[in-house]
Parts: sequence; C-alpha cells; structure tokens
Amino acid sequence: MLKVEKLSAGYSDLPVISDVSIMVKEAQFVSIVGPNGAGKTTLFKTISGILTPKSGRMQFENVDLAAVPAARRPHLGIAHVPEGRQVFPSLTVMENLEMGAFTEAGRRNWKQNLERILTWLPVLADRRTQLAGTLSGGEQQMVAVGRGLASSPKLLMLDEPSMGLAPTIADFIFEKLLEIRRDTRLTILLVEQRVAEALESADHGYVLEAGRVVLEGNNESLRANDRVRRAYLGM
Amino acid sequence: MSAQMMENFLQAMAAGLAVGAIYGLMCVGLALIFGVMRVINFAQGDFMMLGMYAAYYFFAAFGVQVVLGSTVGPYVSAVLAGPVLFCVGYVVHKALIGRVSGTRAQVEGEGHFAQLILTLGISLIIQSAGLIAFGSILVSVRTPLSSSAWEIGPLWGDLISIFVNKSRGIAGVISVVSIVALAMLIGRSRIGKSLRAAADNPEAATYMGIDVDQAHRIAFALGVGVTAIAGGLLATNYPFHPFVGLEYVIIMYAGVVLGGLGSIIGPFWGGMTIGLVQQLSTLVLPTQLQNTAIFVVFLLIVFLMPQGFFGRSVERT
Amino acid sequence: MPALRSLAPFFIFAGVYAVVAFAVTNSYYQLMMTLVLVWASFGLSWNVLSGYTGLVSFGHAAFFGIGAYTTALGQIHFDLSPWVLIPAATVLGAIAGLLIGFPTFRLRGVYFALAMLAYPLALLYVFEWLGYQEVTLPMKREAPAAYMQFSDHRIYTLLALTMLAVIVVITRMVEQSRFGMALLAIKQNEAAAEAAGINTLKWKLCAITLSGAIAGAVGAFYAVVLLVVTPVSVFGMLVSAQALTVTLFGGVGTVWGPVIGSAILIPAAEILHAELGHIVPGIQNVIFGVAIVILILVAPEGMFWKARDFVYRRWPHLVATAAQTIPAMPAPCTRSSAGKPSLETTAVSGVPLLSVRGLSKSFGGLKAVQNVGFEVSKGAILGIIGPNGAGKTTAFNLLNGFLRPDAGQILLDGRDVTRRKPYQLCAAGVGRTFQIMRPFARMSVADNVVIGAYVRSDADWEARRLAADAIARVGLTEYAHRLAGELTTRELRLMELARALAGQPRILLLDETLAGLGHTEAEEMIGIIRRLAQDGITIVIIEHTMQAMVRLVDRFVVLDHGAVLVEGSPESVTRDPRVIEAYLGKKWTAYAQG
Repeated sequence: MLKVEKLSAGYSDLPVISDVSIMVKEAQFVSIVGPNGAGKTTLFKTISGILTPKSGRMQFENVDLAAVPAARRPHLGIAHVPEGRQVFPSLTVMENLEMGAFTEAGRRNWKQNLERILTWLPVLADRRTQLAGTLSGGEQQMVAVGRGLASSPKLLMLDEPSMGLAPTIADFIFEKLLEIRRDTRLTILLVEQRVAEALESADHGYVLEAGRVVLEGNNESLRANDRVRRAYLGM
Repeated sequence: MSAQMMENFLQAMAAGLAVGAIYGLMCVGLALIFGVMRVINFAQGDFMMLGMYAAYYFFAAFGVQVVLGSTVGPYVSAVLAGPVLFCVGYVVHKALIGRVSGTRAQVEGEGHFAQLILTLGISLIIQSAGLIAFGSILVSVRTPLSSSAWEIGPLWGDLISIFVNKSRGIAGVISVVSIVALAMLIGRSRIGKSLRAAADNPEAATYMGIDVDQAHRIAFALGVGVTAIAGGLLATNYPFHPFVGLEYVIIMYAGVVLGGLGSIIGPFWGGMTIGLVQQLSTLVLPTQLQNTAIFVVFLLIVFLMPQGFFGRSVERT
Repeated sequence: MPALRSLAPFFIFAGVYAVVAFAVTNSYYQLMMTLVLVWASFGLSWNVLSGYTGLVSFGHAAFFGIGAYTTALGQIHFDLSPWVLIPAATVLGAIAGLLIGFPTFRLRGVYFALAMLAYPLALLYVFEWLGYQEVTLPMKREAPAAYMQFSDHRIYTLLALTMLAVIVVITRMVEQSRFGMALLAIKQNEAAAEAAGINTLKWKLCAITLSGAIAGAVGAFYAVVLLVVTPVSVFGMLVSAQALTVTLFGGVGTVWGPVIGSAILIPAAEILHAELGHIVPGIQNVIFGVAIVILILVAPEGMFWKARDFVYRRWPHLVATAAQTIPAMPAPCTRSSAGKPSLETTAVSGVPLLSVRGLSKSFGGLKAVQNVGFEVSKGAILGIIGPNGAGKTTAFNLLNGFLRPDAGQILLDGRDVTRRKPYQLCAAGVGRTFQIMRPFARMSVADNVVIGAYVRSDADWEARRLAADAIARVGLTEYAHRLAGELTTRELRLMELARALAGQPRILLLDETLAGLGHTEAEEMIGIIRRLAQDGITIVIIEHTMQAMVRLVDRFVVLDHGAVLVEGSPESVTRDPRVIEAYLGKKWTAYAQG
C-alpha cells in the first residue's frame, strides 16, 4: 500500500533521513524503531507532505505522492497521529473528532465510525464536551487516535503514541491499538520508543539510526538483537 | 450623588453600550485575523473605511435608498458592505498577504516584520486611493433616525430620563445580532471549526486534510468583512473621510488586546469596554482628550494585563 | 580613522549634492532638496533602533514631534534661538527615548510594535488639546541669522547636509563599534546574544536613547525649515511611516539605506505631487504604499542589500568587510593571554569546576528537572543523555541562566552562580552553543565571532584578536573573511563554537553540536572538542548521536523524567539495565535477559 524508495529529506541543507526505503503492505502492521534524532518523525512528516523530500519516491496505492499536496493526502486515506498528540486545545473532544472526519471518506462514514470509536475508547464519550486542552496526556492520546480513526483511513500512522505517558497508560493505549487492529484489519505504521512492544505485534520491523535503515526483519530476528540496543546506545 | 450626575452617568453608559457594541464588532474582525493567522493587520482601519464608503454608495448611488427608504436603507447598506469587503479581503490575501504569512512563511519572530510592513503599505495605498476616488469631503449616510431617540424613563420617580439615540441603538442591536451570527458560524459550522483548528495547530490541521492556507484566506476575508459591517454601521452615525481608518486603529487594537489576543469573541467585550471608557470619559475629560484616555487605557493593558480578559497564550501548541 | 575613510563615498555624494543645491534657484526645489536630507536623517534615527535591533518602532514620530515642538515653543515662549534649541531638543529626545524604552522593552514582538504606535498618537491628541493646533515660528527681522532664519534657502540645505553628515558619521561609528555589533546580534538571535555575554537590555536602551536624540534634533530642524508646526505634521502616523519607508526602501541596518531611500523616494513623491497632485491628490502616498508593498515582497531588506548581494556574487573582492582590519593571525592553538581573566582560579586538583546540587524546576504541574546533581572536573567531558523529554534542554537552560531554578545550587569553581543572568554567567566563564544556529548571514565569519569576545575585553582591537584566536582554534582561519550566509552546516557549527570560545570560557555547554553533520564531519568535530578539553576547557554536551558521544565523553549523566538515573563511564552506562529500560522499554530488558 505504501512504498517509500530511497527517500532523503530534512530541513535546510542537512538531510535528516537518507536513502530510506520501507514498504507497508495492505493490512500489515509495520513498526519503525530507533533512537531520538534518527529521523522517525521526519519520515512521517515527509510522507504527510509537511516536508518536501530532497530525493526519492513515495507511492501510496500506486499514486505518486509528490504530485499530491499535503492537505490532500489525508483524503487519499493516510491518517497521521502526530508525535506529542497535538490535539486542538481550544476545541472540545467531539469537535476534535469532527475535525478528524474532515476527509471525504470520514464524512461519508461518520455515523458508523463515531459509534465504533466511542466503543473502543469510552472515555471519549464521557468527556465529549470537554476542551481537549484540559485533558490528561493519556486522554489526549486517545483523542488523537480517535481523530485519526475518524478520517476513515486506509493507513494509520502513529508517531510515538507512548511518549510522555506513564507506563500503565502507555500499555493501555497499546492494547487498544491492538484491539482496533483485530476488529478492523487496518493497515498500521507505528513508530515507537518501546522497542519490544512495537516489534511484538508487528508483521515487520525497521530499525532507523542516524537517518538510515540499519536493520529490518520480523519480530524473531530483531528481538533481543544486540544491534538494536547498539543503535540506541551507541555501543 | 445628585440626580443630575446619575443621569449623566447612565446616559453615558447607554451611549457607551450602543457605540461599544459597534466597536466590539469592529474588534472581532481584527481578532479573527490575528487569532487565526497571527497577522497584525495594520490596514484593518482602512478596510473599514472602504466598508463605510461601500455602505454609502449602496445607499446613495446604487439604489438602496430608493428601494428601501431612509429608515431601513442605511442598515441594509451597512450589512451589504460585508460581502463586498469579504471579496476584497480574499483577493488581497491571495495576492499579497499570503506571501508573507501562513504555512509558507515563518510567522514568529522576524517574520512579523514583513507582515507589519506589508499591511502598512496596503494601508497607505488604500487611504490615498480612497482620497483620489472619494475626495476629502466628509460624507455620511443620513437617516432620520439619527435625530430621534427613545426615552427610557422617567425612572426613579420622575427625576431621571435616559435618551438612547435611535440610530445608534439600532446599529448597536445589529452589531450584537451580527456577533451572535458570527459566533455561531465559528462555533458550530464545519468551516468555523476548521478555522479554529487551523489557528490552534496548523500542522495537525493539515493532518486532518484542512488546507491551512485556504483557511487563512477565509479568516482574513471574514475579518475584513465583519469590520466593514461595523464601519457601515458607524457610517450611519458619524461622518467620515478617507483617513478615518487611522482614528479607529488604536481603538481596534486596544479592544483586541483587552479582549485577549488569541480569542476571537473576547474582543467583542474589549471593544465594548473601550466604547464605555470613551463615553464615560466625556464626563470628566474634555472631548479632545477622549482618545488620549483610550491610549492610556491601551498602554495600561499592554503593560499590566497583556493577556486581556480571555486571552490564551499567543504561542501555538 | 577607519570610520571616516570608509565614508569616502558619502562625502563625495555630499560634495556633489552641495554643488547641485547651489545651482538650484527654484525655491520649491530648494525646499525639496532640504527635505530629502531631513527625511534621510530621520530614517537614520529609525535605523539605529529598528534597523539594527529588529524591534520595529512605529512611533518615532513621538521623538520627532517632541523635537519640533521644543523648538517652536522654546522660541515663542522663551525667545531662545534654534541654535540652542536644537541641542536642547536632542537632549529631550534622548530622555524621551529612555523613558519610553524602559517600560516598553519588557514587551515582546506584537505588543512592542503596538505600544510604540500609541505614544505619538497620544501625544498628538494631547498637543491638540493643549491648543497647539498650529504653531508658527515668529519672524525675526533684527538678527535673523541668530535665529536660524535665512532668506536664501540654500543655506538650509547646507545646514541639513551638515546635520546629515554628523549623523552619518555617528551612525557609522556605532555600526563598526561593539555597540553596533551587539545590536545586530540582538536582532539575529537575542537569546544567543545574551548567552554570548551581551547585556541586551542595556544596549537596547542605548539604541533607543540615541535614536530618540537624533530624531529630536531632526524634528527640531524640520520645525525651523517649515516654520509651522501642527500636531499631525509631526506626530502623525505618516511621519513614522516615512522614516520606515525610506529606510526600508534603501536598506535596513546600514548607514546607506536611509540616504538612498530618501534620495529616490522623496523627489519621486514630490515631483509626482507637483505634476499630478491637482488631478490625483495624495498620489505620493500611493507611491509610498506601492513601494513598500513591492519591496517587502521582492527585496525585504532594501535596495542596498539586494545590490550588494548582486555585486558580491559577481565580484566578491569588491565587497569590503570590516574583518579586513584584523591583525595577523597567531599560530593555531595558542592561548591568548590578552583579555580579562574569568573567575580567579583557585581550583586545586580535586575541586570540581562545576558543581550542581539539588537542581529542580517545574512548569505548572510538570516537574521538568527534579533534584539533579552532578560534578564536573576541570578538563573533563561530561555527556548529558536521556530519552526524549528527560529534561536535558531544561537542565542546560538552567545552567546557562535562561531559566531560574525553583531549588538547588550551581557552583562554578566553588562560587554560587545560581541566579545570575546569562550574560553574567558568560562573563564568569560559561560558554554555550545553540542547537538552532542563526548566524548573521551578511557579515563575515570574523564579525560573527567577535561578538563573543566583547565580554572579555573592552578594547575593540583586543576583542578582534581574541576572535582571531578562537577562529584559528577551530580551524576556520581561511573562512574568516567569508560571509556567513555561504557556509555549510559544518562550517557554521565551527563558527558557533568559535564564538563561544572567543569569550574565553572555562566551561562550554554544547547543545547538539553534531546535529546535521555527516560521519567524517562529526569525527572532525569530535577531534576539535577533545583538543579543547585537553587545553583545559571543561565540556558538558547534550547530543542525540550516541555513537559519537560514547567515543567522546569521559562520563555520562543519564536523565529520565527529569531526575538523574545513573552516572558513569560510557561502557557501564550503555549496559546498565536501568538505562536500557529507559531507552528501549521494560520488555526489552526482560527479553535481553530471558
């Protein structure tokens, strides 16, 4: 579904990611792990169109994304749940979800989507009229995920959903993610700092270090692979 | 307090509320622009001036007076000025302002410089073009209502009567109605929510599929249109000329800062307060110093309470 | 004096202008020639504050008007001559600048511009209320020259030219002195300037005082020339706008800008007004407006810079930079003994240079840094690491003075420096580089670096020497005269380092110095940092690239959720299960062990 080939991108003259190639097939769960500064968020921003690549190609369902402006990509079916949640603080929970449904597909399927989102994440129903800026970190993360789902996506990209959350809450979010996956067979691309969790449920994993893919494989091959530890800690 | 003082006070309050409502509408227009786009539009007063002239021409030259008469006509003209200036604002943003603001430009820090200067340039052009097109003679939109008033009272047993000028009163009411309509638009409609989302977090808004640049364009056009309606309403009560914008710029900014930078509806209250201050200050200050009073209030707010009544942190998430 | 020599083009221009002025006999054009100079002078005054510091002032009319009314009222009420009143206006303008600057500089960005806007308009209404709608200077028939009244208008032109020349010389001297450099540094990146030892408030106040003084003098002269003063003509928006426009058009932040801008725009406007004014009233303002709009879109910094960039691209050797007056470079790695020493070193081996105890900082409910403590000995390299959000940057900002700790102490060589401001810490020997660099693109590397040396020396020549040393130490000597705008990331990072070194720091806080560097470049940087440590500079570094860090540092301090997790050598820390857990998650450790 998503094919990234030899992508290089960054800010000003420095490339943050170089020659990155990843592939996500339909209904797959792919994880990308790696230390800070490795370029994971940069990769997502480039796929979403916030950053323009310096070289390389990105294809989504055989459409070359270079021709698609950033604000159109969600309408193709790419949902991006950004790093740090990034909810709309002055909008209510329900309004945040409505914004998620801004896409064409989202508007068509709003009723069904809303019902399912509220079933997976009942907290959102309880707090539907609360301003998103006043929620706790975990609740905001749920709003962000719900928002992503409200767009009726084909591909759900999540950037470090556990960041800044207490471990129990992070676990909860992760379980919910797996539940959603079981129920919908949604294609998921996940970036996570908690490596084991990210790799466990994934069909395929990539390890990004200093802007390059240094390792890839499935859970068995990557798990307990010391090369992964070295990617994070340098030695 | 003597009955006379009480009456003067209440009279000033009533006048202040009426004119304050119009100022409030004016400020909300500016607040929309700053709140959504973080652009300091120096030319807002001049767009308002264009709105005043638009109302005047609708009334006197394009037949509104003929069709609807002098009682209803002026107000309809004022409201018509809104859409006209909406289109003007849209075009100006697309051609000029969009180049120095929005997602393509760096808005914080040094980026401010370019916007400030650009809108200053636009302001000069509009003023001078206005002078060329409309001449420097004072004009106004005449309505017989401006010379009649409602009497509230007698109150307190025959001692006090408050007179509310009908024209200003109606203008005030129309302002309030407009604000309510705008609030509903911003608060309830999909477009309105997408504007607020774009204001809160442009990057996340893009992830939702919202075209932030387009949102900015609409916000700008809407802000200009709203202030234009306020201008049209002021046109029914006060004579004006092409340089009138300058006089109102400080009022607008004072109202917006008082209401809270970053809030969209808050500045309505800011404008209302300014209107009240202006009218109440006539009780103690000579007329010429009215505006100085406003400046002093403005400076005080900026120094002591920069977040205003409803302000949020001006920094984005 | 180098300042005067570099102004040769100006004096030639002035000479030509004077000759032309004498040739003109039409009184209208004579007036115009004077006004060009007046507005150029006013533009220069605006430039001193807003052009150099980047703080846009829309309120310079306040100073202008004060100057104008001082002359007018001083002459009417006290019968004083403008020869006395113009200096008086200068002083009043300076005082006004100081009074306005002090409170207003506390405001940031938008609020500053809006407040500055309010002052002249408030004064306008006050003067109208005071009854000074139209003030005419009285004619003095007995001793006109004593009251600066001349029947031959060309004398005014000459006076204006003299005034402009004086202002140009002053501005040029400022530009090339540390005053000017400090202002430019503030414009570019105020935080970095503070960290480099510049007392930003002091310099900003100096700028507005000087700016107000010049504007006051110009306003006073304007009153003398026009003989009539009305509130709108001296306090009005258009007055402030004019200063802005001519400077913007000609070039911001340079002595030439207002002169060029004025010389082009004023005659253009006046001619248009003369030719078309009766058909199209107010045409000159339309022209100004259009000029501003086109300018901001096409050449936002003004024509001068656009032209200079163009010339530099084709003929680089024609563009002079101040750096060419630097004395010969010493051999690399020699420590210069010039300059004031930082703290008196009483460090006996064993007493740590930097000692942090119980440092804590919360933002609202969030504990960004909790009870952090560590020590660094002289010449050691310490790395602060931790997962995202661990509090590393907050800790740096606390060490550097940008944030005040809620609790805890920072001891530099045994002395408590906990609540000092950044520029004071710099003077005490704490240097810092920043993650996001903002160099002065149009200035040479040497000029960029010398800012860092001002904290260490009061003499400009000595500061340049220190800067040259620092540049040599990082190996950038061949780039010293190049404009910073052309440098690659690697060279920019080296320049940042040189600027911090120019302040002769005893301890360097390096914030992601390796970000954006390729493998070989990072290696090179690591080598330089190691050499600095060997020379005796203590280093504390935050960096994401662990691969580089593990080879560079002597010790790590690992932060997690704002608290110190573990300390130790790279080998021990990278295998410590707590650290692995913090970075890779709990389950990973379980797998690795199981």
